[in-house]
Amino acid sequence: MSVCLARFVFATIILFQFSSTVFAGALDDYYLQQFGETKNIQLQKTILSVAPEAQESAKCGMPLKHGLRRDWKLLEQTTQKVLAKRLALPALTGEKIFTSVGKHFSVHYATTGTDAPPLADLDNNGVPDWVESVAATFEDVYTYYGTQGYQLAPTLPAGAPYDIYLLDLAPQGFYGTTTNNQPASSASYPNAETSWMELDNNFTDSIYKPNIYAPLQSLQITAAHEYHHAIQYGYNVFFDIWYAEATSTWMEDELYDLIDQNYTYIPAWFNNSKTPLDLAVGSNAVTTGAGYGRWIFNRYLAEKHTPAMIRGVWEKVGGLPSPDGSSDIPMIPVLESLLSAAGTSLSADFFGFTKRVYTMDWSTHTSETDKIHPYSPVATYLVYPVNSSVTSPAPPSVTLPHYSFAYYKFTPTPEMPALTITLSKSTGIQTTVFRKSSGGITEIIANAGGNSYTDATFSSADEVVLLIANTSNTDGANANFSTDGKLTTPGTTPPPPASSSSGSSSGCFIATAAYGSYLHPQVQLLRHFRDEYLQTNAPGRAFVAFYYRFSPPLADFIARHTVLRSLTRLALTPVVVAVVHPLISALALLLLIGAVLASRLHRIKAVRLNAHPYVISTTSYRL
Amino acid sequence: MSKATLILLVFIIFAALTAVASAAGKRPPDAWNYYHFDGSAFKSGPAVDESPFVAVREKLRPVVLTTSAANIEQTLLPDGDGVIAGICYIQSSGGKLGSDSGFKPYPRVPLLISSGGKQLVTVQTDDQGYFVVVLPSGKYSIGSGPFTADITVERGITTLVPLRAGKRMVD
Repeated sequence: MSVCLARFVFATIILFQFSSTVFAGALDDYYLQQFGETKNIQLQKTILSVAPEAQESAKCGMPLKHGLRRDWKLLEQTTQKVLAKRLALPALTGEKIFTSVGKHFSVHYATTGTDAPPLADLDNNGVPDWVESVAATFEDVYTYYGTQGYQLAPTLPAGAPYDIYLLDLAPQGFYGTTTNNQPASSASYPNAETSWMELDNNFTDSIYKPNIYAPLQSLQITAAHEYHHAIQYGYNVFFDIWYAEATSTWMEDELYDLIDQNYTYIPAWFNNSKTPLDLAVGSNAVTTGAGYGRWIFNRYLAEKHTPAMIRGVWEKVGGLPSPDGSSDIPMIPVLESLLSAAGTSLSADFFGFTKRVYTMDWSTHTSETDKIHPYSPVATYLVYPVNSSVTSPAPPSVTLPHYSFAYYKFTPTPEMPALTITLSKSTGIQTTVFRKSSGGITEIIANAGGNSYTDATFSSADEVVLLIANTSNTDGANANFSTDGKLTTPGTTPPPPASSSSGSSSGCFIATAAYGSYLHPQVQLLRHFRDEYLQTNAPGRAFVAFYYRFSPPLADFIARHTVLRSLTRLALTPVVVAVVHPLISALALLLLIGAVLASRLHRIKAVRLNAHPYVISTTSYRL
Repeated sequence: MSKATLILLVFIIFAALTAVASAAGKRPPDAWNYYHFDGSAFKSGPAVDESPFVAVREKLRPVVLTTSAANIEQTLLPDGDGVIAGICYIQSSGGKLGSDSGFKPYPRVPLLISSGGKQLVTVQTDDQGYFVVVLPSGKYSIGSGPFTADITVERGITTLVPLRAGKRMVD
């Protein structure tokens, strides 16, 4: 009997499960159909209302999922079970929702399983203390951003709490994520979108370094970071990701000054300073410093201007359209435009920033200055002179992409009482030299002409550094430098003597632009020709001076156009051949001139022998 | 040999070489061409991993595959029709601790297709976020809101569209 009863109960449960699906309401039908689950239930449902496709209104993007989340509680349990896997929003086991005291956030959390946060409830109010901490932290962040004048993250309907989901994100290696949801456009911000957020459920796993950063601290910086992303979506969903990360990471230290985790992202940038400011946040952002490490540039802007400058950037982005209707808005032109309107320029501010990388004279958060990674030289020179023949530790030449920089360090030696650094540079390059000694850091003023720097007391300095920065939005800016001096390391083969001021370290601009590298063999060949044959006589020197005066802008133009570079290489080929094989070239030129003269003589003779000049002329041209 | 003959001979040789080089550079018209999505655009060739890719051939309906060894069913396109095929995805970029640079396919989502401001049809992405829709040649918009792509459908031709549906900031 009991067996029969058990079978009856089991059959009833099964029947109930099926029937609840079969008799799901119209809303259930809608979502099941929209998410492609109709096939699963067609056998069970003999009547299924399939509206014509053209009448459907669901669209690509998040709206459907948002609607599903909104209507979740209205759906049958079996429908929820079927659609749970289709939700981008996390499905939490035994989900509970706690609304923050200020009613601005809904914290969704699991009550069992790996996603559950610490469930201790010391105040016995029915809500885990950690969940309350999450809610309170976000309320603090909300208040801070509000007082800073930011437009807070939009929600729909307006005023609804912002959704935060607590999950075990450690296996994925995430602190948190923020994903856009659905349009929330306004007159000021037509491309605004709502968003939702995932956070790690406890920040106690080893990847979060809980022995350095307490879980609450990791929560605080993640809240500051992610909620700014939510704000960014609220300005314009087409924001440039590198600047979004740079701003969110900068905000971490503005809100929670004592945690200082964001300083750990700076070395990756300074150790890769020859990468552009807007380097894409790709698969190796942690090692290149892309995005996250760039936050320190925002600190410079905030100090040079005000923190409101950063907010102004986002407000400006908010009003801009996507360049082609679907791609992100490049941030460099936005910064250039905004800073220009503020009476400065991105060029000036970026150069100022690169100087501060060395001088470290930060005016805010001064107690944390020692946490900022020091400058990282591309090369440190110990042997002088440094000239074009030097290849180790690095050639004295650099080609930089837009808004990037490189430092070179010169170590003093008793044999060198003074040091002169001579530069040649293309358009877009700005340079300066710093001297560091016990008296502090001093910036050395450029010599007359602006292309050389002299430290008259080099031997008593701790170090001298050369800063080369591309402060333009054009890639491929080139700079070459050389120093005076003599060999100072015994046993080393003496490098060739440095030539005159416009000598061997100076670039052959057009050839460098055409061949793409200062070190290209053809460029070296032309440079050698210049030094050996042109610089040794007055007319040659005059030609070189003329060339160096007018060629940099032309070279810059050539460098930016692939076709022009090819044509220039083609045009330079006879010059290179003439330099390599002067005798053969001269002989070939003579033969060519002879052939042309002979042809012309033949034509003149033919004209003179015929009565009708026009007919003869035509005939001769045909030949 | 006269100069004119010589020039003609040189021209013929040059034209022949150009034609051979051009023919060698082209894939035979009766072969399927494979394209995979790399996170931002469709690139030639099948995916190196097990992820799906699209087999495309002129005048035939494209097919989404996971292995190039599969036998592809050939379905002729109706005369005058072309195809929009592609993937709907969420850009996923960033990572403080590791890397999540890439994309998440957007499965089972209806895509609205309109033309001249009139809603025509919806097509639903598959489990991998891919979609294929056959349309008469003309200009269409696919998607809605901020993330919309304008596509021109050409007769017998498949236009591949990577349709970004959103962003996921990963930290």
